[in-house]
Amino acid sequence: MATTVDRLSELATKAEAEIAAAPDEAAVEALRVRYVGRRDGEITKAMRELPTLPATERPAYGAAANAARVRIEAALERRTAALREASLARDLSAGAVDLTLPPRRVRVGRYHPITRTIREISRIFAGMGFEAVEGPEVEWDYYAFEALNIPADHPARDKFSTLWVNAEGTMQVALEATGGGRMRAASARPDRILLRPHTSPMQIRVMEQRRPPVRVIVPGRCYRFEATDATHESVFFQYEGLAIDEQLTMADLKGVLYSFARQLFGGERKVRFRPDYFPFTEPSAEIAFDCFVCDGGGTTDAGKCRTCGGSGWIEAAGCGMVHPDALRRVGYDPSKYQGFAFGGGVERLAMLLTGTADIRLFQQNDLRYLESV
Amino acid sequence: MPSLRAPVSWLRDHIDVAVTPDEIAERLHMAGIEVDHIERTGMWGDKVHVGRIAALEKHPNADKLQLATVEYGDGRKKTVVTGAFNVAVGDVVPYAETGAELIDGHTGERAVLRPKPMRGIVSEGMVLSAKELGLGDDHEGILVLDKGLRVGALLRDVLGETIIQLEIAPNRPDALSILGVAREASAILATPLRQPPFEPLSYRLDPALLTVRIEDPEACPRFAAAYLTDVRIGPSPAWMQERLRAAGMRPIDSVVDVTNYVMLEVGQPLHAYDADRLRGRALVARLARHNETLRTLDGVDRILRSSDLVIADEERALGLAGIMGGEDSEIRATTATIALECASFEPRRIRRTTDAHGLQGSSGSAAARRFGLDLSPDMVPMALARAVHLLREHTGARVVGATDVYPRPRHVPNVRLRFSDIERVLGAEIGREEAADALRRLGFAHAELGDQLVVTPPAIRTDIAIPEDIIEEVARIVGYDRIPVRVPTGVLPLHERHPLELLRERVRDALVGFGLQETISYALIDPSWLGRLTPDGAAIAPEPLAITNPTSPAQSVLRPTLRASLLDTASRNLRHRRGVAIFEIDPVYLARPGDLPEERWTIGLLVAGQAEPVRESESWLTAERDWDWHDILGLARGLADAVDLGPFDDQTRRPAPGLHPGRSYAVSHRGRVAFTIGQLDPRVAEEWEVPASTFIAEIDLAALLDVRRRPEAATPPRFPAAWRDLAFIVDEATAWEDVRADMEAAGQKAGLEAIALRDVYRGPQAGAGKKSFAVRLTFRSPTGTLSDADVDKAIGRIEGRLRHRFGATVRTS
Repeated sequence: MATTVDRLSELATKAEAEIAAAPDEAAVEALRVRYVGRRDGEITKAMRELPTLPATERPAYGAAANAARVRIEAALERRTAALREASLARDLSAGAVDLTLPPRRVRVGRYHPITRTIREISRIFAGMGFEAVEGPEVEWDYYAFEALNIPADHPARDKFSTLWVNAEGTMQVALEATGGGRMRAASARPDRILLRPHTSPMQIRVMEQRRPPVRVIVPGRCYRFEATDATHESVFFQYEGLAIDEQLTMADLKGVLYSFARQLFGGERKVRFRPDYFPFTEPSAEIAFDCFVCDGGGTTDAGKCRTCGGSGWIEAAGCGMVHPDALRRVGYDPSKYQGFAFGGGVERLAMLLTGTADIRLFQQNDLRYLESV
Repeated sequence: MPSLRAPVSWLRDHIDVAVTPDEIAERLHMAGIEVDHIERTGMWGDKVHVGRIAALEKHPNADKLQLATVEYGDGRKKTVVTGAFNVAVGDVVPYAETGAELIDGHTGERAVLRPKPMRGIVSEGMVLSAKELGLGDDHEGILVLDKGLRVGALLRDVLGETIIQLEIAPNRPDALSILGVAREASAILATPLRQPPFEPLSYRLDPALLTVRIEDPEACPRFAAAYLTDVRIGPSPAWMQERLRAAGMRPIDSVVDVTNYVMLEVGQPLHAYDADRLRGRALVARLARHNETLRTLDGVDRILRSSDLVIADEERALGLAGIMGGEDSEIRATTATIALECASFEPRRIRRTTDAHGLQGSSGSAAARRFGLDLSPDMVPMALARAVHLLREHTGARVVGATDVYPRPRHVPNVRLRFSDIERVLGAEIGREEAADALRRLGFAHAELGDQLVVTPPAIRTDIAIPEDIIEEVARIVGYDRIPVRVPTGVLPLHERHPLELLRERVRDALVGFGLQETISYALIDPSWLGRLTPDGAAIAPEPLAITNPTSPAQSVLRPTLRASLLDTASRNLRHRRGVAIFEIDPVYLARPGDLPEERWTIGLLVAGQAEPVRESESWLTAERDWDWHDILGLARGLADAVDLGPFDDQTRRPAPGLHPGRSYAVSHRGRVAFTIGQLDPRVAEEWEVPASTFIAEIDLAALLDVRRRPEAATPPRFPAAWRDLAFIVDEATAWEDVRADMEAAGQKAGLEAIALRDVYRGPQAGAGKKSFAVRLTFRSPTGTLSDADVDKAIGRIEGRLRHRFGATVRTS
């Protein structure tokens, strides 16, 4: 009897060896049929002999047959899994690509750096409650100069070398304030037409149309009669800010521009105010930020800081408290309302942020430049 | 801005401060007197000395050269060759030893002095011109120095100078002088100001010698003059010449130099006349007569305008008042008697006259630049007295008398404010004592009445009128860094919605998303560009607005279309690449008679040349192909989808001038062209040197806003779709859009949901003059699953329509 049982165990051992050597899944299947196939499998056949055995031998024989089948089936499973794994590994390794090849390129569009800078400026000031508004580039002399305390023949006009449009027109001018500070188009008068040399005319236009509190930021194109070089353009962009309320001071102006500098350039920027002159603000100031490249030191590892020219300061905007005469002109009561205005060059900021060395690159549209910034 | 070169040694004549020039400059700058830069002259090293000409003799081999023996201390003596003849034995001159670093008088470059034989004699060093020392442009003669200088001293020790180049705000003519800057510095540094020496004049003058008359007191509020005799015209003293040069002026003669010196020192221009040439012995400030002429000092004969103010004698105009003198009454070498004018003029008239005669800027005079600002008449007496003092001292002049005509003295305002206003405006706490001290330092008189403050600025400060001016003055002196950084509080205003700007930015986002590069080009263009946009030069846009004073012809009109700019950008870039895909969103400028022009925001797209591969030449995955009509149409349609546009109100396809007649169209909205699309006319493409495969779209942003619709939320369908493929042959001339519209109409009721064009085939199987469309039709019912029978019925109807309307041969696949 023992020999019969042993025979079953030997059969299982032999089967295990054959299965382990099976070269592919088909061979494994053939072995499965041969050993544990339902019809003619060796184990199946061995089980069929069970009834022929004496009753006393049956339990041991049955157990041995079962054990043999479990061993063989486990071997079959192992071998199948191993073969599949090997085959998958073969497939995967055959399917490897050269990972270093260039990709299927996507066409990438880019914003012009002026657009990006204007959006950034508007976004930062929007966070401080300033609404972005826009105004005409072709303007009346009145808004560009006169309403800003720069009448004809005023020496401050020398600063704004103006381009004039070969046309005249009749401006509906808001000359007088009505009660409550609201403006009304009081009369029409002929006026000269020009290309605005700054965005400041929008201070007047906005105040004519709104009652305090006012907080606006005005980005836009400006023009000057100017010889162009690496830092000067005859067509350029400015941003103008205006805030009018009952108790805004120069300290608030400093705070707003300080916050702007920190958000734009990052880090703990310092701001520096120094007196300046604009006919439409009093007191007036020029604001500078400490250089974000050399941190105000004026030097970098490469020597004199090229971003700030070694001064440690980046002059960014002209600003000041809106002149009472300008307030009066739009019907705001200067004893009740006061506020500040500021204005700076968009290109200057864009040059600083992108490392652009020549302002002319912005409007020459060499795609090799535009695709790099 | 008016600029001023301020030599620090000259400033130190008026203020005693133990601070470096750099610190003076920094303090001025931070108090609002803008420092442009600091220059140092006299970095000459230790080989340039003060020398004295000990002997002069002829060069043995050359008539135009002489030999000068120069002593330079400690018994040192050298002989140099010089071409200059303006020196005499005993003159003190700059002498450079061999090896000194100088500026080459001819090239203007820095160079080291090397021994070089001149006509057989080697010069042992050199005597120097102003130019060679970097002290000026004069290279004619040797710079003759003050005889008081110690011979043998290093030149840098006696002539070295720091010059602060300042930009003075146009409202501060009081500071546009050495004394003015010193006055500022004295206030900033809290140090006393020292006035230059002069003796007050007594205003008595015999009318038989000279009378002064103002005919237009608006134009000339004040006119003072001095009458001097026994004037010796000659060179001015060397120190004066050096200062004039340092300040950027050229020395001329003793009298002119004194007037210029006083102008630089005090800020008030003066003009000297040869008194013997004044007919009627009078100086009259009057408006020019009709067609009056004058030859000014620059030798130009001018026809005067009746609004020009002139200084005249009893017979004729002598000069443009405050701007430029006349040749006739100029000081000459023989002049012995002078009438010295010191006057005030109305700045606007000065500016208008200056402009009208083309005398602005560098072609004009330093006097006109000052008189164009609001110079206080109060400067007149001191300036005249100072000039008389210097003329007496340096020309031997005798002052016979002086006169001062000032009919309506200018009112100096009292400015009233409260101490609390300072904090109200600045947001900084400035103590009363501190504010009062700042005002005192500035020379502002003030009276306090509790919180009230009455301030009287010095008469020369014509810029002070309102409380804010006073507040700025206080802030300037205590320092703007005293203003704290604060975050504004208060009510935030309500913001408006700006639909056009919002749409514009969404369009920008969409086009960048499509892979186009944004460009921004000059709004001012060359008008000749506009004639190159159509084969026959016909305009595609209204006449542009012209600039009266353009910087160049290339930027002389405001563009009425973006097309020229896009073509220019494409053309320049296609010189170095094979394809471009760009867009610009900017206004075009369209004239409106009598009003400001319309600034019409326009979207311009341009694709040209190679479309694929995206990266040039990288064609291993993508075949090379050029941009085509379907691309530009796809970009436009894609934009319409991205920003949710409905149709324009007029779908008629109209011709688009400048574009390929068979591959372009324009459509209108509300009666004006809103959308233009197509391939560039090949002749125009050739003109701009862009490839034939150049495609353009131009879209009016306002029209887009008008047809924009709110997106309607769709509910995903509940029932499945059914589809059928269909192919049919039609005449070549049949437009897809007509076929599509008819299929849509015929299938609509049966639930035709979508028509997809799968192929357009031309070839033997379609037949000559025919084409075949292959489409896939999708059907769906909102209420249930469609049966095959329903769909077959719909297909039957559609096929029938195609046969009937287009004579189509239909084959279901």
